[in-house]
This record gives sequence, structure tokens and C-alpha cells, in this order.
Amino acid sequence: MEERLTLEEQGEAARVFVAGLLEQFGVAADVGTRTLDEETVEVTATGSDLGLLVGPRGATLAAVQDLARTVVQRQSVSRTDRILVDIGGYREKRSAALRRFTQGVADEVLASGTERALEPMSAADRKVVHDTANEIDGVQTRSEGEEPRRYIVIELAD
Amino acid sequence: MMADGAEPVDDVQEDGDVNRVDAEVAADDDAGNRRAGGTSLAVVRYLLDAIVAEPEAVVIDTEERSGTVRFRIHVAPDDMGRVIGRRGRVAQAIRTVVAAAGARDGVSTSVDIVDD
Repeated sequence: MEERLTLEEQGEAARVFVAGLLEQFGVAADVGTRTLDEETVEVTATGSDLGLLVGPRGATLAAVQDLARTVVQRQSVSRTDRILVDIGGYREKRSAALRRFTQGVADEVLASGTERALEPMSAADRKVVHDTANEIDGVQTRSEGEEPRRYIVIELAD
Repeated sequence: MMADGAEPVDDVQEDGDVNRVDAEVAADDDAGNRRAGGTSLAVVRYLLDAIVAEPEAVVIDTEERSGTVRFRIHVAPDDMGRVIGRRGRVAQAIRTVVAAAGARDGVSTSVDIVDD
């Protein structure tokens, strides 16, 4: 057990874990880290033949991220920061698509004046939708329902 | 004619299980990886070593049948919580990643964490 790891050290521990895992899978990839904000670091793996590690709707990627967090937590006595993992650009493509979708729904809400409930989404996806919608003038968001069926409603701003 | 026809029949009787024959043929096609489930076994071992505090106490029993590789995992008592995680989240993540590794070998996988 180490003492509190810096964000950079946590990112490096996660990077080493993900790189080793890809090696066990026998896939060639470049694995790096980038700091997204002062408490978020993302491990990014790029290369070909990474689809298997993304899985259906990113399920395998989500599992890899869970495990990377577990491994980093094991090395740190105190709480850890946010550790994200992206493989083959999946998360980036997914959030770009979600941002476009959110903009489209927000436009409809603004035109019709009627709120729209979205499909249930993961917490990570909801964050993208909240962040995107809250930058659009005239609409706001709220979450309803219980996990794992929690969903967002986009409505006209008060 | 009789002898020609008899030979494959003997083979089928010997192996008994058609699925097992298919699995063996599939494994043989994969020249780089003779042992069915080789990638998934390596991945199970890697994940456990990364998660537990006592890697030397990890024992992985492997059982192969009909294209399915079943891993039965034993860890030190103090590591059970780490490997299972809150609401089984770590165990589920291990299963998901090991299943992806199994897909690379053309096998299904199951992972049981055994409470000794």
C-alpha cells in the first residue's frame, strides 16, 4: 500500500494496467494518458483490432474501466480521482454522437415547447447530455427514475 | 465399401459428443494458440494478479467442455472482497473481460469465484 497517489501517478498505474491487459489479449495498441481536468485522467488506447475490447454498446470497455479503477484503488490508501478509459476512440465517438443527439432534441423542445424524455442511459452518458443541454439557451434537464433505468428529461428553461 | 463406411462411425462413437469434436477442430485451426481458452486463461490470471493483495494464493481451476471454458477461482480469504467488489461489480467486470478474451479463442467462458 502506497500513500495518496497524485493524479499523474493514478493515471500511470491505470495506463500500465490497460497496456498489460491489451498485451494479454495479443493486440497491438498505443496506450497513453491525458489529464481532462484537475481530478480526471483518461487512459486512451488506440490501434486496430480493438473492437473486442469495446464490446456491445461499450460493455467490455466499461468493464475494463471498472477494473482499472479497482486496480488503482488497491494501490492508493486514500480515495482516488476519476479515472476514465477510452479504447479505439469509442468514448469520444459516443459522446460526439450524444452531443449531436442532445442538440437535436433540444431544438425540438424549443420549437414545440413540449418536454422530451430520453431513453435510460448510464451515468457517464447522462453527464454528457446534461453538460450539452445546459449550454443551450432556453432548455434545462432533469433526471428521473432509478438506476439502471434512470433517464433524462429535456424541458424548457424556467 | 463396408470398411470405408465403418471408420468414421468408430470416430463418432469414440468421441461421443459432436460439439466437442467441433471445438477441437476449431482449436486446431487456430495455429497460434493450440490450447482452447489460452487467451482467456492468461487474462483471468492477469486480472487477478492485478487486483489481489496475495497473488501467490490465487488458484485457477480450468475445466473445458463443449466449447465452454469454466474457470473456478480461489483467492486468499482477505482478497474475496476485492475480487467480488461492491454488489459484485468487480466479479462482473472480470466475467465481461474474460468473455471477450474467450471470444478471441472461439470459446464461451464462465467465471466462478469459489468461497473455500
